[in-house]
Amino acid sequence: MIQIRDLYLCLDKFYLDGVNLTINSGDFFVFLGPTGSGKTVLLESIAGLKPVQGGKVIINGEDVTDKKPEERNITICYQDCALFPHMSVKDNIKYGLRFKKDKNNSKYRQNFDLLVGLLKIEHILDRYPLYLSGGEKQRVALARALIVGPDILLLDEPLAALDVGIKEKIEVELKKLHQALKTTTVMVTHDFREAYYLANRVGIIKNGKLIKTGLIEEVFQKPGSLFVAKFVGIKNLFQKEKLQGKAGFESVGQLLPDGDYLGVRPEHIVISNVEPLTEHVFKGVISQTKNHGVFLELDIACQGVFIKSFLTPNRYGELDLFDGKNIFIGFNSKQVCVVSEQ
Amino acid sequence: MNRKRPELLFAVSQISGLLILFFIMYPIINIVFWTKPGIILEALKDKEVMDSIFLSIGTATLATVISFLFGVPFAYFLARREFKGKSLVESIVDIPVVIPHTVAGVCLLTVLSPRCWFGQMLAKMGIELLGTITAIVVAMTFVSMPFLINAAKEAFQWVSPRMENVSRTLGASHIKTFFYITFSLSWRDILTGMILTWARAISEFGAIIILAYHPMIAPTLIFERFTSYGMMYAVPVTVILIFICLLIFVLLRLVASGVGNRRAI
Repeated sequence: MIQIRDLYLCLDKFYLDGVNLTINSGDFFVFLGPTGSGKTVLLESIAGLKPVQGGKVIINGEDVTDKKPEERNITICYQDCALFPHMSVKDNIKYGLRFKKDKNNSKYRQNFDLLVGLLKIEHILDRYPLYLSGGEKQRVALARALIVGPDILLLDEPLAALDVGIKEKIEVELKKLHQALKTTTVMVTHDFREAYYLANRVGIIKNGKLIKTGLIEEVFQKPGSLFVAKFVGIKNLFQKEKLQGKAGFESVGQLLPDGDYLGVRPEHIVISNVEPLTEHVFKGVISQTKNHGVFLELDIACQGVFIKSFLTPNRYGELDLFDGKNIFIGFNSKQVCVVSEQ
Repeated sequence: MNRKRPELLFAVSQISGLLILFFIMYPIINIVFWTKPGIILEALKDKEVMDSIFLSIGTATLATVISFLFGVPFAYFLARREFKGKSLVESIVDIPVVIPHTVAGVCLLTVLSPRCWFGQMLAKMGIELLGTITAIVVAMTFVSMPFLINAAKEAFQWVSPRMENVSRTLGASHIKTFFYITFSLSWRDILTGMILTWARAISEFGAIIILAYHPMIAPTLIFERFTSYGMMYAVPVTVILIFICLLIFVLLRLVASGVGNRRAI
């Protein structure tokens, strides 16, 4: 278990301020936040690589705030993998064992065989990092970080530099590794889709402050604030005042008891040529269609309110949609969240 | 369009390169033909000549070792830490490169002479520097150390701090990380810096004649023979020094470039 208490760290013009967090053993926790929000700094301060100026980091009940990185049993994988270029893949993976007092213990041999098998890197063990693909490098970096049996595995945007196909494979492998080894894992990313697939709990960071934590579904469905809502992909955010006086939107406005905005995820918007059987139904016109290849993003104008919806290319074809077409759109109250300004 | 016609810029570049190579190599090759093998062999038997050459090699090597021992840790600090006044510190390191060598010699003389508190302190301790081998090493170290510091700093900057971070989290202490990762990845560039440092040290003349005309290093002996006896007596020593320096230079460059052993980098 990781407990972070009132963590304070100042780096030139950037600072982490009052970070409080508990991550349970075996969790796959993801820090989400835009570039420059302090995710990596937080990760490195957990590892002891960035000395903190205030607060505590407690690992499994032990205060490790003043411990050196090599004494914490926390390993890290970076986006660029940071493989040692002068060592073969095998030497890279076994590097951490040099510093283990019980390095001849058979458990490390078993770890090596297990990781090499799980990550499918048997065939590249004698190669040097220069001759590895991006995906292979990331697999080697993962094996190197896990062979020593860390209490916590830190992942700093490990998938950000990978091609889409490889990224999806590594995502699946990361999930399998976590399920097999149950190592407490903390990952940072700015991609909420990655977080949704991998994490069971998530924390949102903005300008060095942890502004929201919770179960992944909870944060995605009830983001609470406008910033979190936008960050987790809620593209339809309506202000109560702007809905007033628009026919059909009265029922939606009533859903806003104490919040400033009302949010609906684009994937929850139903599009139909006939009136759909949803609680809230509007008529609209497709004003713009963006084709993202695997899905289409539609902007639909409804009395001056623009609503975004995602559709598969198949569904788009079935409905015979095109820009300028009049359609019905709808959604249900349970798919709506209330979002405050702050 | 004629595909075989070379691009103008490359043609100009090649001509410039040929001119530069000629400019460097012609005087060096030409000097060999200024003398005869018999005279060179005779010079090789001259104790004064060989002593000055070995003294040059020995003092330059010592200056390089001192530069390495003090310069590499300092270079690591400069490569890894940001602090106020860092640019000023880096500029100070480069001062010996930009000031004339005789000026460097005079500066050192003001510190080492008995008129300065430091010189007086050394004199009281019974240490006489002026006119000694130590003074030669001091002068050589002063003018050549920046080459090693700058080479080592650039080499360390090339090694990603993230590799060091990974190494630390895998259980290696800071010092072990330095040797297993940082130094292992940068030693070739540091060796190149050492070669430059050594070359700069062995070629030093201006600062040394001010601090220690005697015992004579090879450049001082060449200067003395040239001014006292003329070209015919200066050239054989010059040729021997060129051959020895080139031999050491080529050998070290081969090691630094890692013949057939750079697959990992």
